Amino acid sequence: MERKLSRRAFLRVSSDAARRSCFVLSMPMILSACRRGGEAAINEEEFLNLSEEEVVEYSAIAARIIPTDETPGATEAGVIYFIDQVLGQDREQERLILQEGLKELQTATSLKFSGVYFHELGELQQDQLLHEIEDTEFFGTIRYLTIAGMFSSPEYRGNRDNIGFDLLGFEGRHAWAPPYGYYDADYAEKGE
Amino acid sequence: MAEVVTFPSREPVDFVIIGSGAAGGVMAKELSTAGHSVVLLEQGPYLQAGDFKHDEWGYKHNGDLVWGRRQGHPQSFRKTENDEAVEREVCLGYAHNVGGSSVHFSGNFWRFRPIDFNEASVLGPISGTTFADWPISYDELEPYYTRVDWEVGVSGLQGAWDPPRSRDYPCPPMPVKSSGVILERAGKLLGYNPYPAPVAILSQPHNGRPACIHCGFCNGFGCEVNAKSSSMATMIPLALASGNCELRTSATVSRINTDERGRANEVVYWDASGVQQAQRANAVVLCANGAETPRLLLLSESELFPDGLANTSGMVGRNLMFNGWSSAEGLFDEPINGHKSIPTTRVIHDFYSIDPSLGFYGGGGIDSRHSSDGLPMGSALGSGRFGGPRWGSEYKKLLQEEFTRTVAFHGHTTSLPQASNTVTLDPNLRDKWGRPALRTTYADHPDDISTMQFFQDRSVELLDVAGAIKINRIPIDGQEGNVHILGTCRMGNDPDNSVIDRFNRSHDVPNLFMCDGSSLVTGGRGQPTMTIMALAFRAADYIIGAARRNEI
Repeated sequence: MERKLSRRAFLRVSSDAARRSCFVLSMPMILSACRRGGEAAINEEEFLNLSEEEVVEYSAIAARIIPTDETPGATEAGVIYFIDQVLGQDREQERLILQEGLKELQTATSLKFSGVYFHELGELQQDQLLHEIEDTEFFGTIRYLTIAGMFSSPEYRGNRDNIGFDLLGFEGRHAWAPPYGYYDADYAEKGE
Repeated sequence: MAEVVTFPSREPVDFVIIGSGAAGGVMAKELSTAGHSVVLLEQGPYLQAGDFKHDEWGYKHNGDLVWGRRQGHPQSFRKTENDEAVEREVCLGYAHNVGGSSVHFSGNFWRFRPIDFNEASVLGPISGTTFADWPISYDELEPYYTRVDWEVGVSGLQGAWDPPRSRDYPCPPMPVKSSGVILERAGKLLGYNPYPAPVAILSQPHNGRPACIHCGFCNGFGCEVNAKSSSMATMIPLALASGNCELRTSATVSRINTDERGRANEVVYWDASGVQQAQRANAVVLCANGAETPRLLLLSESELFPDGLANTSGMVGRNLMFNGWSSAEGLFDEPINGHKSIPTTRVIHDFYSIDPSLGFYGGGGIDSRHSSDGLPMGSALGSGRFGGPRWGSEYKKLLQEEFTRTVAFHGHTTSLPQASNTVTLDPNLRDKWGRPALRTTYADHPDDISTMQFFQDRSVELLDVAGAIKINRIPIDGQEGNVHILGTCRMGNDPDNSVIDRFNRSHDVPNLFMCDGSSLVTGGRGQPTMTIMALAFRAADYIIGAARRNEI
């Protein structure tokens, strides 16, 4: 089978973060930026370390780890940009684990579904393959990086628009005052 | 502010202090304000309130404060000396910055209690251990605990639960959080005596520093408003203002040299640009922590000291203790929001000493916290903790309920000293400076494991009584690293089985003092930092007196 990565798949992944963020942001300026869509997103934000193939494949895996449903997921949070950034920061070991694991995943893809790329499979097929490798170092590493990209500070290029923080109910304020939760409010009212 | 003082390296200063952490900061302030010339060497940078960020990835996963392999400081671990040591990102964790780990710690500030100092003679020997009494009593240390309370700054509530104290806390307790309320109510139902956790975090302005603003980023982070009572925020400014203390940062010590009489006379280090420097000194105070202090002594071997400096006892690097830790987590119906404010506001110390008739030694305290220090990424990595998938749509739902509604009851417990638990030099692994890396050899004593299990059982009972809808036990499978690094240059009266005397002076080298977590004879019940600071105030008092009497 021909190993040809569709340019469109790459564009789709890399611009999703920008486009879908329209749902959670309402500033007109950002909306118009989003409408420029597609290719512009790549030009604005280049990948520093990952190949195009890695971008689309890792993105597809991340999207199954934290899927997009009623709420935004790893794709909208721009997790792939986080992975791209931190893999360039003295993480050769993790990089190798991902690259070798991806090759094996693609082999499994072609054996099971006679496809070439993981990202081209349907969600059910993707989940089936991922369940089979749940306990591997590869899956552990990409799960770790996906979660890290979802919930770390946006300065690392993931967790866009605080999508991850909002999902958890974490509000990153710099000061709080009591009551902090239900039980201490109750305590203040009733005592012991 | 006094002018910044600089000392020429070829002229001896009164004291070189190695390490600016919990003990080194106190030591620098005490010796310099007493009029002594001090050069304070710190291997990390001088980060201050404005430099700290709410950056979980950087601080907790990238080693920004607690350096590891990526910063050129790999470590290795093995369970016993018969095992091959395996390289680790970090095994013994401590912050590399001015103020050391007092900057990024949780701020839990329990005093040790009278029993901690003479427990071995009360209970008798325990096989396979080097369990021993301290050469000092609680009463001897009490005045210095009180100085820590007031000079460093502690918030708490005096009461029957406290060990004896000569003066009240300077600041009232911190406002209770939901996690604290849950523990307090459950504890009272079971007949225990929960009380406000003493913390080195200010509930009201004190000594010119502001009160906590409850941002929630204490454990693992530096305080952005100087409300956490680190030695960086409290002691270092006073040392620098004395005009007698020169702080040299990014200074990595390679060895301590001695003269022909075996007295310490020079400290060799790499400066920020990697150039080797040597500072001459009349005396040296080693406050580099329970990992780096023994490492430096072992690195300082010479013809005169073939087994390492100050190591005729062979005890340098031995008796490593961690403090036991166990935890149970509970899911509740309503928001707890453990990510707001300080880590813990209530503690139960009713099991300070477990009934010996249970057949094992141990004791400790239980406090209530967020399962992952209130951190988003940490919480998400553990989600599915009560069962359920670890990825996918169902996992995503668990993320949403667990972060705000989970509480963890932690057991902080005893750790028996064993000669076989050690910090040594790894013969096969080197750090960025070419020094042999820290190699940890450690296995919990069976009694330590039993104690962790006992405390986890109590935590589960408490969560159950408190009405948790789901409960999870964190597996107890033997510790392979810690941030409490204790006992590796133990204090004692007998030079044959201890490294320093009752005033922290080396038995072997009269003008060399060691003061930090390595000095501890027993590890208490967790939260050792207050005791480390109290020991530093006490040792400094002695050193100043000895210097005055010309006895150093």
